Amino acid sequence: MSATPRGLKILTWVTIALFALASYAVLIYAPREAVMGDVQRVFYFHVAAGWVGALAFLVAVVAAVVYLITKNRQWDTVGLSSIEIGVVFTLINIVTGSVWARPIWNTWWTWDPRLVTATVMELVYIAYLMLRQGIDDPDRRARFGAVYAIIGFLSVPLTFLSIRIFRTIHPVVIGSNDPGAEGTFDMTAKMLQAFLFSLFTFTFIYATLLWHRIRLQRQAERVELEKARLLAD
Amino acid sequence: MLLQSAPADTTSYMLIGFTLIFGTIGLYVLSLYVRSRNLEKDLAVLTEVEPRRDRD
Repeated sequence: MSATPRGLKILTWVTIALFALASYAVLIYAPREAVMGDVQRVFYFHVAAGWVGALAFLVAVVAAVVYLITKNRQWDTVGLSSIEIGVVFTLINIVTGSVWARPIWNTWWTWDPRLVTATVMELVYIAYLMLRQGIDDPDRRARFGAVYAIIGFLSVPLTFLSIRIFRTIHPVVIGSNDPGAEGTFDMTAKMLQAFLFSLFTFTFIYATLLWHRIRLQRQAERVELEKARLLAD
Repeated sequence: MLLQSAPADTTSYMLIGFTLIFGTIGLYVLSLYVRSRNLEKDLAVLTEVEPRRDRD
Protein backbone atom coordinates (compact mmCIF):
# COMPACT_ATOMS: atom_id res chain seq x y z
CA MET A 1 0.00 0.00 0.00
CA SER A 2 1.25 3.50 -0.78
CA ALA A 3 2.45 5.60 2.16
CA THR A 4 -0.27 7.33 4.18
CA PRO A 5 -0.76 10.90 2.81
CA ARG A 6 0.34 13.68 5.14
CA GLY A 7 -3.17 15.17 5.07
CA LEU A 8 -4.68 11.89 6.30
CA LYS A 9 -2.11 11.60 9.09
CA ILE A 10 -2.91 15.13 10.27
CA LEU A 11 -6.67 14.52 9.99
CA THR A 12 -6.35 11.30 12.00
CA TRP A 13 -4.48 12.98 14.86
CA VAL A 14 -6.86 15.97 14.86
CA THR A 15 -9.81 13.54 15.03
CA ILE A 16 -8.26 11.61 17.94
CA ALA A 17 -7.72 14.89 19.82
CA LEU A 18 -11.28 16.04 19.07
CA PHE A 19 -12.70 12.70 20.22
CA ALA A 20 -10.79 12.97 23.51
CA LEU A 21 -12.11 16.52 23.99
CA ALA A 22 -15.67 15.48 23.10
CA SER A 23 -15.47 12.61 25.60
CA TYR A 24 -14.37 15.09 28.27
CA ALA A 25 -17.22 17.45 27.28
CA VAL A 26 -19.96 14.81 27.58
CA LEU A 27 -18.58 12.94 30.62
CA ILE A 28 -17.33 15.83 32.76
CA TYR A 29 -18.08 19.29 31.32
CA ALA A 30 -21.81 18.80 30.69
CA PRO A 31 -23.89 18.78 33.89
CA ARG A 32 -25.78 15.72 35.10
CA GLU A 33 -29.41 15.83 33.95
CA ALA A 34 -31.76 16.55 36.88
CA VAL A 35 -34.20 13.65 36.38
CA MET A 36 -32.53 10.95 34.29
CA GLY A 37 -29.09 11.15 35.90
CA ASP A 38 -25.87 10.01 34.21
CA VAL A 39 -27.48 7.85 31.50
CA GLN A 40 -28.56 11.05 29.73
CA ARG A 41 -24.87 11.61 28.82
CA VAL A 42 -25.26 8.80 26.28
CA PHE A 43 -27.57 11.17 24.39
CA TYR A 44 -24.66 13.27 23.00
CA PHE A 45 -22.94 10.40 21.19
CA HIS A 46 -26.27 8.63 20.50
CA VAL A 47 -27.49 11.55 18.38
CA ALA A 48 -24.02 12.18 16.89
CA ALA A 49 -23.82 8.52 15.77
CA GLY A 50 -27.28 8.82 14.19
CA TRP A 51 -26.13 11.98 12.40
CA VAL A 52 -23.06 10.17 11.01
CA GLY A 53 -25.30 7.31 9.81
CA ALA A 54 -27.59 9.72 7.93
CA LEU A 55 -24.64 11.71 6.54
CA ALA A 56 -22.91 8.51 5.37
CA PHE A 57 -26.03 7.29 3.56
CA LEU A 58 -26.50 10.74 2.00
CA VAL A 59 -22.90 10.72 0.72
CA ALA A 60 -23.52 7.21 -0.65
CA VAL A 61 -26.60 8.33 -2.59
CA VAL A 62 -24.70 11.29 -4.08
CA ALA A 63 -21.83 8.94 -5.02
CA ALA A 64 -24.40 6.55 -6.57
CA VAL A 65 -25.91 9.26 -8.76
CA VAL A 66 -22.46 10.47 -9.87
CA TYR A 67 -21.43 6.86 -10.62
CA LEU A 68 -24.51 6.27 -12.79
CA ILE A 69 -23.74 9.45 -14.74
CA THR A 70 -19.95 9.06 -15.10
CA LYS A 71 -19.51 5.24 -14.82
CA ASN A 72 -16.33 6.01 -12.90
CA ARG A 73 -15.87 3.12 -10.39
CA GLN A 74 -14.13 5.39 -7.89
CA TRP A 75 -17.58 6.67 -6.99
CA ASP A 76 -18.69 3.11 -6.28
CA THR A 77 -15.75 2.85 -3.88
CA VAL A 78 -16.88 6.04 -2.14
CA GLY A 79 -20.46 4.74 -1.88
CA LEU A 80 -19.48 1.34 -0.50
CA SER A 81 -17.04 2.87 2.02
CA SER A 82 -19.60 5.40 3.18
CA ILE A 83 -22.34 2.81 3.61
CA GLU A 84 -20.08 0.53 5.66
CA ILE A 85 -19.31 3.40 8.05
CA GLY A 86 -23.00 4.37 8.11
CA VAL A 87 -23.94 0.83 9.16
CA VAL A 88 -21.42 0.89 12.04
CA PHE A 89 -22.63 4.25 13.37
CA THR A 90 -26.33 3.46 12.93
CA LEU A 91 -25.70 0.31 14.97
CA ILE A 92 -24.12 2.48 17.71
CA ASN A 93 -27.16 4.77 17.51
CA ILE A 94 -29.66 1.90 17.90
CA VAL A 95 -27.77 0.08 20.66
CA THR A 96 -27.10 3.21 22.75
CA GLY A 97 -30.76 4.19 22.33
CA SER A 98 -31.71 0.83 23.79
CA VAL A 99 -29.33 1.31 26.76
CA TRP A 100 -30.77 4.79 27.37
CA ALA A 101 -34.34 3.48 27.07
CA ARG A 102 -33.91 0.76 29.71
CA PRO A 103 -33.96 3.03 32.81
CA ILE A 104 -36.13 5.76 31.25
CA TRP A 105 -38.82 3.76 29.41
CA ASN A 106 -38.31 0.67 31.59
CA THR A 107 -37.65 -1.50 28.53
CA TRP A 108 -34.74 -2.30 26.20
CA TRP A 109 -37.02 -2.25 23.15
CA THR A 110 -40.48 -1.07 22.20
CA TRP A 111 -42.24 -1.09 18.82
CA ASP A 112 -41.99 2.69 18.56
CA PRO A 113 -41.98 4.18 15.00
CA ARG A 114 -38.48 5.68 15.43
CA LEU A 115 -36.94 2.47 16.73
CA VAL A 116 -38.59 0.41 14.01
CA THR A 117 -37.68 2.74 11.11
CA ALA A 118 -34.07 3.06 12.35
CA THR A 119 -33.75 -0.73 12.56
CA VAL A 120 -35.31 -1.19 9.11
CA MET A 121 -32.85 1.39 7.73
CA GLU A 122 -29.95 -0.51 9.31
CA LEU A 123 -31.17 -3.82 7.85
CA VAL A 124 -31.61 -2.23 4.39
CA TYR A 125 -27.94 -1.21 4.37
CA ILE A 126 -26.67 -4.48 5.89
CA ALA A 127 -28.50 -6.20 3.00
CA TYR A 128 -26.67 -3.86 0.58
CA LEU A 129 -23.30 -5.03 1.93
CA MET A 130 -24.34 -8.70 1.77
CA LEU A 131 -25.94 -8.59 -1.68
CA ARG A 132 -22.87 -6.89 -3.21
CA GLN A 133 -20.79 -9.92 -2.23
CA GLY A 134 -22.90 -12.10 -4.51
CA ILE A 135 -22.08 -10.24 -7.73
CA ASP A 136 -18.73 -11.07 -9.37
CA ASP A 137 -18.69 -8.66 -12.29
CA PRO A 138 -17.37 -5.32 -10.91
CA ASP A 139 -19.41 -3.15 -13.28
CA ARG A 140 -22.64 -5.01 -12.55
CA ARG A 141 -21.85 -4.84 -8.83
CA ALA A 142 -21.27 -1.10 -9.00
CA ARG A 143 -24.46 -0.53 -11.03
CA PHE A 144 -26.50 -2.65 -8.62
CA GLY A 145 -24.91 -0.85 -5.65
CA ALA A 146 -25.74 2.57 -7.06
CA VAL A 147 -29.40 1.75 -7.78
CA TYR A 148 -29.78 0.05 -4.38
CA ALA A 149 -28.19 3.01 -2.56
CA ILE A 150 -30.64 5.41 -4.22
CA ILE A 151 -33.72 3.30 -3.42
CA GLY A 152 -32.45 2.38 0.06
CA PHE A 153 -32.00 6.04 0.91
CA LEU A 154 -35.80 6.38 1.17
CA SER A 155 -35.44 4.79 4.61
CA VAL A 156 -33.30 7.71 5.85
CA PRO A 157 -35.84 10.60 5.65
CA LEU A 158 -38.52 8.16 6.83
CA THR A 159 -36.45 7.48 9.97
CA PHE A 160 -35.77 11.17 10.52
CA LEU A 161 -39.41 12.18 10.08
CA SER A 162 -40.95 9.20 11.93
CA ILE A 163 -40.98 11.01 15.29
CA ARG A 164 -42.57 14.06 13.66
CA ILE A 165 -45.20 12.19 11.62
CA PHE A 166 -46.27 9.29 13.86
CA ARG A 167 -47.40 9.11 17.48
CA THR A 168 -44.28 8.20 19.42
CA ILE A 169 -42.68 8.25 22.85
CA HIS A 170 -39.24 9.04 21.41
CA PRO A 171 -38.22 12.61 22.28
CA VAL A 172 -37.75 15.17 19.49
CA VAL A 173 -34.65 17.04 20.61
CA ILE A 174 -34.78 19.87 18.11
CA GLY A 175 -37.91 21.87 17.42
CA SER A 176 -40.50 20.18 19.65
CA ASN A 177 -41.64 19.80 23.22
CA ASP A 178 -44.16 17.00 22.78
CA PRO A 179 -45.74 16.22 26.19
CA GLY A 180 -46.21 12.58 25.11
CA ALA A 181 -42.46 12.03 24.76
CA GLU A 182 -40.67 10.07 27.48
CA GLY A 183 -37.11 11.14 28.27
CA THR A 184 -37.32 14.66 26.91
CA PHE A 185 -35.33 17.40 28.67
CA ASP A 186 -34.33 21.05 28.34
CA MET A 187 -30.69 21.57 27.45
CA THR A 188 -28.63 24.00 29.49
CA ALA A 189 -25.97 26.10 27.74
CA LYS A 190 -23.23 23.61 28.69
CA MET A 191 -25.33 20.68 27.48
CA LEU A 192 -25.93 22.43 24.15
CA GLN A 193 -22.19 23.14 23.77
CA ALA A 194 -21.34 19.48 24.47
CA PHE A 195 -24.05 18.37 22.03
CA LEU A 196 -22.89 20.62 19.17
CA PHE A 197 -19.24 19.72 19.81
CA SER A 198 -20.13 16.01 19.66
CA LEU A 199 -21.84 16.50 16.29
CA PHE A 200 -18.77 18.40 15.03
CA THR A 201 -16.37 15.70 16.31
CA PHE A 202 -18.35 12.80 14.87
CA THR A 203 -18.37 14.54 11.48
CA PHE A 204 -14.55 14.56 11.68
CA ILE A 205 -14.55 10.89 12.69
CA TYR A 206 -16.70 10.11 9.65
CA ALA A 207 -14.41 12.01 7.25
CA THR A 208 -11.29 10.32 8.67
CA LEU A 209 -12.77 6.82 8.57
CA LEU A 210 -14.09 7.41 5.05
CA TRP A 211 -10.65 8.37 3.78
CA HIS A 212 -9.07 5.28 5.43
CA ARG A 213 -11.84 3.00 4.12
CA ILE A 214 -11.51 4.30 0.55
CA ARG A 215 -7.75 3.60 0.67
CA LEU A 216 -8.48 0.08 1.94
CA GLN A 217 -10.91 -0.53 -0.94
CA ARG A 218 -8.34 0.66 -3.50
CA GLN A 219 -5.83 -1.71 -1.92
CA ALA A 220 -8.36 -4.58 -2.25
CA GLU A 221 -8.98 -3.69 -5.90
CA ARG A 222 -5.22 -3.72 -6.58
CA VAL A 223 -4.94 -7.21 -5.08
CA GLU A 224 -7.89 -8.40 -7.20
CA LEU A 225 -6.23 -6.92 -10.30
CA GLU A 226 -2.93 -8.67 -9.55
CA LYS A 227 -4.74 -11.98 -9.01
CA ALA A 228 -6.62 -11.61 -12.30
CA ARG A 229 -3.37 -10.79 -14.12
CA LEU A 230 -1.66 -13.84 -12.70
CA LEU A 231 -4.55 -16.10 -13.67
CA ALA A 232 -4.66 -14.63 -17.18
CA ASP A 233 -0.91 -15.32 -17.83
CA MET B 1 -39.37 9.76 38.13
CA LEU B 2 -41.31 13.06 38.18
CA LEU B 3 -41.68 13.16 41.98
CA GLN B 4 -38.09 12.30 42.83
CA SER B 5 -35.85 14.98 44.40
CA ALA B 6 -32.47 13.70 43.25
CA PRO B 7 -31.40 12.41 39.80
CA ALA B 8 -31.95 8.69 39.27
CA ASP B 9 -28.88 6.50 39.76
CA THR B 10 -28.31 5.45 36.16
CA THR B 11 -24.49 5.47 36.16
CA SER B 12 -24.24 1.76 35.32
CA TYR B 13 -26.33 2.30 32.15
CA MET B 14 -24.11 5.22 31.19
CA LEU B 15 -21.04 3.00 31.57
CA ILE B 16 -22.63 0.29 29.41
CA GLY B 17 -23.50 2.90 26.79
CA PHE B 18 -20.00 4.39 26.57
CA THR B 19 -18.37 0.95 26.62
CA LEU B 20 -20.49 0.03 23.60
CA ILE B 21 -19.67 3.30 21.79
CA PHE B 22 -15.89 3.14 22.37
CA GLY B 23 -15.86 -0.63 21.83
CA THR B 24 -17.72 -0.53 18.50
CA ILE B 25 -15.60 2.32 17.10
CA GLY B 26 -12.43 0.57 18.37
CA LEU B 27 -13.45 -2.74 16.77
CA TYR B 28 -14.18 -1.04 13.45
CA VAL B 29 -10.81 0.73 13.44
CA LEU B 30 -9.15 -2.61 14.32
CA SER B 31 -11.00 -4.31 11.44
CA LEU B 32 -9.70 -1.65 9.02
CA TYR B 33 -6.14 -2.27 10.26
CA VAL B 34 -6.41 -6.08 10.07
CA ARG B 35 -7.96 -6.02 6.59
CA SER B 36 -5.25 -3.64 5.37
CA ARG B 37 -2.49 -5.84 6.82
CA ASN B 38 -3.96 -8.97 5.21
CA LEU B 39 -4.15 -7.24 1.83
CA GLU B 40 -0.53 -6.13 2.16
CA LYS B 41 0.46 -9.76 2.78
CA ASP B 42 -1.58 -10.91 -0.24
CA LEU B 43 0.05 -8.29 -2.42
CA ALA B 44 3.52 -9.28 -1.20
CA VAL B 45 2.83 -12.94 -2.08
CA LEU B 46 1.44 -12.00 -5.50
CA THR B 47 4.41 -9.82 -6.40
CA GLU B 48 6.74 -12.59 -5.22
CA VAL B 49 4.99 -15.23 -7.36
CA GLU B 50 4.99 -13.13 -10.52
CA PRO B 51 8.78 -12.82 -11.10
CA ARG B 52 9.21 -16.52 -10.25
CA ARG B 53 6.66 -17.42 -12.94
CA ASP B 54 8.48 -15.16 -15.41
CA ARG B 55 11.77 -16.99 -14.66
CA ASP B 56 10.20 -20.46 -15.13
